[in-house]
Order: sequence, then C-alpha cells, then structure tokens
Amino acid sequence: MNMKYFFVGAIGLVTLLTSCSKQVEIQLPYEGDKIVVNTLIQPDSVVYVRVTRSVPSDVFDDSGYKDIPGATVTLTEDGLPVAPMQVQEIKGLFWYVSQKKAVRGKQYAVAVAAPGLQSVTATDTLPFPPVIKNAAAQRNTNRVQFTLKDCPGTGDYYRIRIYVSDTSGEYGGFRPFRLDPAFNNNLVDFFTKSNYNSLVMTDERFDGKEVNFVLQTADPINSYSRVTVEVSTLTYNTWKYFSTVIPQKGDGGNIIIGSPVRVFTNVQNGYGIVGGINTRKLVFKVE
Amino acid sequence: MSLAGKLLTGIFILCFPLSVFGWDWQTRVTVIVKDQPIEAVCALLEKEYGIHFSYSRELVSLSRKVTLTAHNQRLKKLLEDLFAPDDIRFTRVGDQLVLSHARRNTHTISGYIKDAVSGETLIGATVYAPGLKQGTTTNQYGFFSLTTVRDSNSLVISYIGYRPYLQPVSLKGDQLLNINLQPLGSLREVVISGKEKTKLQEQTQMSKITLSSTELQAMPQLLGEVDVMRTLQSLPGVSGGMDGAGGLYVRGGSPDQNLVLMDGTPVFNFSHFFGVYSLLNANVVKTTDLYKGAFPARFGGRLSSVVDIAMKEGDMKAYHGDVSIGLIAAKFNIEGPIIKDKTSFIVSARRSYPDLLLNAALKSDNTLGTGGDFKAFFYDINAKVNHIFSPKDRLFLSFYKGEDNLLVKQTTIDSTGAGNPAGFNLQSTKFQMGWGNTIAALRWNHIYGPRLFSNITLNYSQYSFFTQYEHRYQLPGTGELSNVYGKYSSRMENSGGRIDFDYRPNPQHAVRFGAITTMHYFKPGNSSFQDKGSPVKPLDTLPSSMRITGAELSMYAEDDWQLGSNLFTNIGVHASAFLVEGRFYYSLQPRLGLRYVLPRNWAVKASYTHMNQYIHLLSSNGTTLPTDIWVPSTQRVAPMFSKQVAAGVAKTSANGKYEFTLEGYYKSMHNMIENKENNTILTPLPARWDENVAVGKGWSYGSEVMLQKKKGSTTGWIGYTLSWSTRRFPGINNDKIYPYKYDQRHELELVLMQRLGKHWELSASWHYNSGTPITLPVSSYAGIDNPSPWDPSVGHTSIDRYENWNNYRSADVHRLDIGITHTKQKKRWSRSWNVSIFNVYNRKNPFVYTINDDPDTHKRYLIQATILPILPSVTYAIKF
Repeated sequence: MNMKYFFVGAIGLVTLLTSCSKQVEIQLPYEGDKIVVNTLIQPDSVVYVRVTRSVPSDVFDDSGYKDIPGATVTLTEDGLPVAPMQVQEIKGLFWYVSQKKAVRGKQYAVAVAAPGLQSVTATDTLPFPPVIKNAAAQRNTNRVQFTLKDCPGTGDYYRIRIYVSDTSGEYGGFRPFRLDPAFNNNLVDFFTKSNYNSLVMTDERFDGKEVNFVLQTADPINSYSRVTVEVSTLTYNTWKYFSTVIPQKGDGGNIIIGSPVRVFTNVQNGYGIVGGINTRKLVFKVE
Repeated sequence: MSLAGKLLTGIFILCFPLSVFGWDWQTRVTVIVKDQPIEAVCALLEKEYGIHFSYSRELVSLSRKVTLTAHNQRLKKLLEDLFAPDDIRFTRVGDQLVLSHARRNTHTISGYIKDAVSGETLIGATVYAPGLKQGTTTNQYGFFSLTTVRDSNSLVISYIGYRPYLQPVSLKGDQLLNINLQPLGSLREVVISGKEKTKLQEQTQMSKITLSSTELQAMPQLLGEVDVMRTLQSLPGVSGGMDGAGGLYVRGGSPDQNLVLMDGTPVFNFSHFFGVYSLLNANVVKTTDLYKGAFPARFGGRLSSVVDIAMKEGDMKAYHGDVSIGLIAAKFNIEGPIIKDKTSFIVSARRSYPDLLLNAALKSDNTLGTGGDFKAFFYDINAKVNHIFSPKDRLFLSFYKGEDNLLVKQTTIDSTGAGNPAGFNLQSTKFQMGWGNTIAALRWNHIYGPRLFSNITLNYSQYSFFTQYEHRYQLPGTGELSNVYGKYSSRMENSGGRIDFDYRPNPQHAVRFGAITTMHYFKPGNSSFQDKGSPVKPLDTLPSSMRITGAELSMYAEDDWQLGSNLFTNIGVHASAFLVEGRFYYSLQPRLGLRYVLPRNWAVKASYTHMNQYIHLLSSNGTTLPTDIWVPSTQRVAPMFSKQVAAGVAKTSANGKYEFTLEGYYKSMHNMIENKENNTILTPLPARWDENVAVGKGWSYGSEVMLQKKKGSTTGWIGYTLSWSTRRFPGINNDKIYPYKYDQRHELELVLMQRLGKHWELSASWHYNSGTPITLPVSSYAGIDNPSPWDPSVGHTSIDRYENWNNYRSADVHRLDIGITHTKQKKRWSRSWNVSIFNVYNRKNPFVYTINDDPDTHKRYLIQATILPILPSVTYAIKF
C-alpha cells in the first residue's frame, strides 16, 4: 500500500515549521567495480547490449555511466555463438549490436569479459507478443482505452506505456498515467495520485480474459494528435527487473525508510539485466 | 504386647525417677551454633545432654538454619525458642522428646486498602505482620489476603505516599477489613516520607517496572503533555522509534508485540499523532506496570511486553478535578462521589487545538477556497463509574474513546490557461481521515471468602481507521467531468470476558487462576468506490475486503510459592487455543520464575517464559502507521511465539531509598512476518496478504541495569541497556541474518526529579542511544528501459545496488529535556505553572534520511532531517 508516502508527507507537513535538515558527510560502503550488462531482447530485432561499469553510490552520474573499453561481449543463441557484435555509438552511448535478429523460441545468453573485472554471464528467453486492439482516446480528456487478450494459464507479465507524437511522428514524450481508479476498483490509487510512466503487472487478476483497460493520464491529451499505447509482454526476469526498478525509483526523493527495494538482476557476478521482451504498439489519432 | 506386659512397662516408667534420665525441663544447657539446621542443634543436645529426639521426617522439618548462642539457658526456654517459628510441638515421653507439628487453627485477614481521602483503592500496598515476619501486597484491585497459622495482634499497612497504619486484629477467626490510609498530603511530603513498597528481594517477579502517577507527572513534558509512552521509553530495555516517535520496542520486539491493557482491556493502537503521544491522558492513570519478560501466566497473546495501566476510579468522598492547557492540548478531569462512599465517577477529556487557530487563519486568507475547511486534531475521553454494593462486591464500568482526525476541504479554480478554454478547470476535494480506539469494560470484584477473591470482566475494544475522498473535477471547455467518491476503512474488534481468581491459602502460596475468552473480528481493507457517470467497468469483482471472526480461549494458573526459607518460585502455565476459519491452533505456555535470597538481602532471580500471539500486524515497509491492519494467523503464517530466559540480581536497600536491578535476557521469536522484497503497482488483494510476506525468526539478547532512588527530595534513575536484536526471513537479505531496524547497541537514561523548597519541582532527563540501522546502497549502475536505443526513452536510469539490510548506522541520538513546575496552594484550589524545554541543547537527532543528488559536483549526499529541535512549552493547570 502506497499510503505510507501520504503519511510521511503528513508528518513532514506537521513538522515542517520546526524541522531542519543537514548534509551528512559519510563514507558510503562500496562493493567494488562490477560489470553491468543491460539488454532487452526483442524478437525480430537485432540485439543491443550496453556494457558499463558500476560506481560508488555517492557518485551521481546522469550521463548514462561509463563504458568499459576493451570489453569482450559474446552473444549465444541456444548455446551457439552468434556472429561477433559490433560497437555502435547511438545517441552518445556505445552499444554492442548483433548482426542477426533475435528469434522467439530461442534462448539467448550474453557473456562479458573485461580486463581487471570479474567476467559475467546472463541468460533469458523471449516471450509471446501481446494481443492488443481497439486503442482510443478523446481529445481533451484524460482517458485512454485499449483491449488486451490474455492467454489463459500461462502466467503472463506485461508493461504498458503511453507516449504522444505529432502528425509528423515527432516524439512528444511519455504521458504519466495510472489505471483508472474505477477500473482498478482501488481507492488507494486515487488518494496517492501516483502516476507512472509505465505500468508493470502480472495477469493474476485477469488471467485468460479479454480486458478493456482504462488508463487515466495525469493531464488531458490535447496538444498532440497521435497517441501510442505500447504494450510489452515480459519474461519473468524482465518483469522482475521492471517491477523492482519502478518502486526503487518511485521512492520520492530517495527517502530511506525501512526496507530498500533491491533491484533484480540475472547477471552472474555482475549487475544489470539480460531479459526478453516483446513489444506491440497501437498508434492512433486522437478523436 | 499383652495387656499385662503394657501395664508392667507403664509402672516401670512411672516409677523410674526422671532424674535417672539425666535431664529435666530446668536443666541448664549451653548451645552455640552458627547457621546450622535445627537438626544439628538436636544432635548436639543429644550428644552433650543425652536428650533423645523422636520425630517423623515426613511430618516435621528440621532443616531451617539457625544461629544460636545460649549459655546456661533453661532447656524448656531454649526448645520453645528453637521450635516456635516452625510450629513444632515437643512432648516428653520417657527419655525421649517427641516432636510433632502443632495443630493450630489458621486464620485469614483480608480486605481492601484504600486512600482515606478519596476512597481510591491502592495497588501494591504492603500488609505486614511484624511479629510473624509475614506479609503480602494488595492486588490490581486493592485486595489482600493474609492467612497465617500463628496469632498476630497487629498488621502494619504501608504504601508509598501514605502514612503507615497499625491495624489491630482479633486473635480469633477470619476478618474482612477495609483499611484506609491517610495520604501524606503533598508531593513534597510523599517524596520525603514515602514508606517502602514491597522490596525487590521480596518479589519473585523480575523484568517488571512500576511507574507511579507521581513519577509520571514529574517527567519533563513535550509541548506541554505528560506522556505514558514517552516515560516508558525512558526505561532500560525500552526504546522508541526514530526520535521517540512510533511506538514501543521492548527487548528487541516490535510494537505489535506489546499487550497494552487499559484496566485489563487490550488496546490496539496506543498512540495519537503518528506515535508521538500516548492515546491516554496521563492525569487519569493510577499506575503503569511494564513487564519486559518473566510474564506472569495471567498474561498472554503478545510476545514482547505487557503494559498494564490501571486507571483512577474516582473520589468516593468529595468532588475535585483539574483543568490545564498546554501548547498542544487542553484537558480537564473531574471526579467525585455520586453516593458518598458507595458510588463514584471520573470523567476526563482532552483535545489538541492548534488546528482551530490554523483553520481560522486559512479561512481568513481564503486559502482553501469557498467552503474550505481544515481540521487536524486528536481527542480522548475517559469515563468511569464504580459502585460498592457490599463489602464483598464492587462494580466498575469504564469507557474510553479516542480519535485522530484530519479533514481538508478545498475548492480551486485553475484559470492559468485563461487563453485556452480547455485548460480552465474547477476542482473541489474533500479529504477526511480518522482513526481511533473505543474501549468499554464492565468489571465485578467479588470476595468469596477471606482467601478467595475474584474479578469478572466483560470488555470490548475496537480500533478503526477510515478515510474518505471526494473529488470533483470539471473542464467546462470540453464538458469533461469526473466526480468520484470513495471510502476505505479497516476495523479490528475484540469482545470477550475473563474471570480471574486470587487465592491465598497460606503464606507459602499465592495462587491465581482464571480463564479468558476473546472473540476477534477482523474487517481490514474495506473499500467502496464510486465514479459517478463513469462507464468504466471494474477490472474484477473479487471481494476486496475480508471478514474474519476468530475465537480465542485461554486458561491459566500460577502460584507464588515459597519452596524453602530462601527459595521462592512463581510457577505457572498459560494454555490457549484459537479457532479461525476452520483452523485450530493451540499452545501450552510454561512460565517459571525463581528467586533465591542471598545473604545481605540480595535476590538472585531467573525466569523462563513462553508466549504466543495469534494475530499479526501488517504494516508498510519500515514504518508503523494508522493504516496498519491486524490479521489472524493463516495456513501459511502460523501463530507467532517467543521464548525468553532472563536472569539477574535485585535489591532494595534496607531504608527503601534505592533499588538496583541487573538483568540479562535472551529471547527468540518465531513466525514473525516481514513484507517481501517486491512491490507491485497493482494493490494485492487483502485476503491474500500472506502471499506477500515472508515468515521468519528474530533473536534479541542483552542486559539492563537500573539504579533508582525512590525517596528523598532528589529522586530518579539511571538506566543502561546493552542489547542486540536480529532477524532472518527467507527471501530477504539473501536469507542472511540482519540487524533489526531498532537494534540500538547502547542506551542510557538519566532521570532526575528534584524538589526545590515548598513550591518548586525540577525534573530533567537525558537520553542517549547509539545509532539506528539504516540501509544504504553499496553501488550505483546504469539501467535500461527499451530493447532498442532508438525507441523513445524517459532518460538514463540509475539503479542503486543494495546488499545487506541495515548495513549502516545513523547518528547517535541524545537529548536533554528539562521541566520546572511551580505549584501554589490556594484556599480551595491549587494552581501550577510548568515550563518544559524539550531538547535543551537543540541536538539535531535524525528522524529520516534522504539521498540527494548534486548535478554540479556529480556527488550524492546523505541528508539527515530532524523534526524535534529545541521545543519550549508552558502549561497552566488548576486543581480543585
């Protein structure tokens, strides 16, 4: 229950007049440099792998972290090496890009070795694509709808995002949203007024059903004419990763209260995620 | 032997002069022994004077150790002195002394000890027969029973703050007495002349601290409020949350493991204002007993502590009361007789008031818009009536209600997009939230006979939380309208009855036994939601709330038993059973206390207790909040239980001025719950809460030392605690043991109360505890959002890596609080001013930490926030 944020806020309000804060110089503990591997593998697409180095937690890096020069990155498909990956600079960051597209039904493994660092490996498979249709939104309202057909009994994992673009296709940014409280039948969602850039969930509450999702955007959709509803199916690893990243990042100003959220990693001896994802997009004009 | 034979033997004995045997009653004997059993004295008499003793070891015990120095004493006198304390009768048969147990009638003196002025019963008053060196104390209802095999012609009754009283008693028959003790009049005199209560070395009970209302009232105040919970936090073995807010943590246990009883009725949430204040007005508290271990068998249902609060009953003789106003709250208290010496009442109420001032300011500024309103307050009401039907029957009816409330009603018109009609919107919101306890109890004290007392209680306790929200949002430009209303509530109720018997068959035994039955009603997480005009169909229609009823039955028996001259035990058992949703749980909980009195009146004590808890508190990660809900054990989450061993020494000095205790303890706790290390945005169904928690164990151990000065113009205590508290849960912290969030290694408390002249009283307390564990990341690294770097992205994701839980210690906490009270007695009333300063030297103790990023230096810092800096307060009170 996210009400704790409300109460923390309430306590904060009451004591605001008398409270004060100070910066504490501390020696934060550090585990030592580790290899960080990040890739989300999409079927029918080449594989992009980012390899970086971890830093002490008192370092603030908003530029995407440093690459590891001289790293050896190996991608295998069902245990067989895929042609060597090529390094490409994309939007200012270096990526290892496969020559071959990923295929659903195969298992992919990434191994990275770098001088002076412990080698790492990670493995995952690729999920089925989501079955989505009937996306719609009305101009100047804040509801976006679409239909999702869930496969029965398979234990599926999803991520939903909304972004907008203009008629020329220029990206206009993600739209924070939440499940319509009436849809989720949850008052707490309404209180907390939390909006997310992405909604990560299991099919626990709608297993095997065709569900008409109703999303409520934080602001009315009016300035852009095109809306993209992006729905991804996730493997367990990817779901576990997203479902731990979001609460960690959503902790509002990094308040240290009680138990921290430990972000899932499937990278042996290192950090990051090698996970399968299968994304479908519904792009539609706002009526 | 034939009849002739018997006659001949008799004649032979009768004709034989007694002097032939070498001794008679007048024979002068010399015996010098030191710390030897009586048996050794008999052996000496036999050896030196030819006096043979005949007795059955099964009937007569000669094991008591004595120290005798008798020079040329008459034999009969020596034997009388030697055997009298053990009620051993001696008869001469031939050259033998036949020993047997004297068959003398016992008699029992029982009754109530009361305050002579108000008629209030006194808990823990001492009843002592000096001639017999026997005594007892009054129980929770002021009742005592002293059964003795010997005659006593007087009893000394004493109680701290009262003039000791010599009560003559009849030599024959049982007696029922109502003894009134005269209070010493003022606090000043109390402190000087307070007569001793039962000394620590005379109680088998350990790990217990009693706070009198005098001690409570003398403590420094926080924003003008004397507080039970904060005072308890200043005792060794007890800590509060961060900076004292957020509950009681006793010997490494969590707040849900405390059994808080108000007049015997359990309370679920013992705080106002997010744990800063107790739910109770301290002016109506008579005594507070805190048990940290060695739990008597009559208590059960929680693992870590029992806080047993006895409330005042109301003056039986005259009307009086008090009114006071501090910086946070105003309160009054009135009590008096309804029928003099028969029926009395007490009513008290308290309300915090700063919101009234704030609301007026907000309204005058029109900050909240048209129809706007703001309320944020707590209140509590206590009422109690008691009636004496006969010397043997008394009835109490008590009621408590306390609530915290928050209301914000606001209307806003957003015309920032005046040029764009679509941006113009109207919003009105009403947010309301409240939580509180309602408690009612009916108790009947009955004396069946001089040795058997009973109390029957029917009680009801409810904790509820509710919040409701109305939101109307309109975009006139587009016709968009949203009008939602929702309510969320949780409720936990207990109703039950208990019967307790107090049976004192003889001075060697004090037996208590009884039965408790409790019905638990759990209604957590009820929500209703309406979105008027919305065509949206809910995701699912599964019930989002639970309705569970559980029945708990307990039986207990305990005996405070004198095993030998220096060895005592309190042995007991608490058996309980819990029936919920077709599942049946039970437990047998042994309780054992031992006391051995060493020379120089030092008592060595040890205890073992087993406690069981059938209900669990579900709380948000790391914080104790009003939204926390109670749930019963399930198939996956079995009842919690704990085992605790404790050992220590204790002594009250001969003059009763000083008390010293040193205790060590080890406690293991099982089947505790902790939220799993995952979070999902979709709220899990409350009915399946047990899938979201891990079930694990905890251990705590440590030692506590306390030196208390009880009398004189200077009183107070020094307490020090050295402790460890750890937890282990599968799936959390890589299944490794980690420090509990309130694992504070050292804790030191200094409390001082000083009388200055007739009118002034100064109090000061200094608290120190070493840092509280917090979890900090061990490194940071890049994250990822998309399969392709060409996809739209929210920017670079930075992830913190957490390794071990609670891997860092926050700053040490220390604080000095002082208070000074000036009291002036007028003809019919008295008035007092109290000035208190909380955190005198403005120590910036940590309440919460945040990690802040600095893009300029590319550094991250830990920021420590403090919520309780130096806080002076003034309270004005009138008593009449």
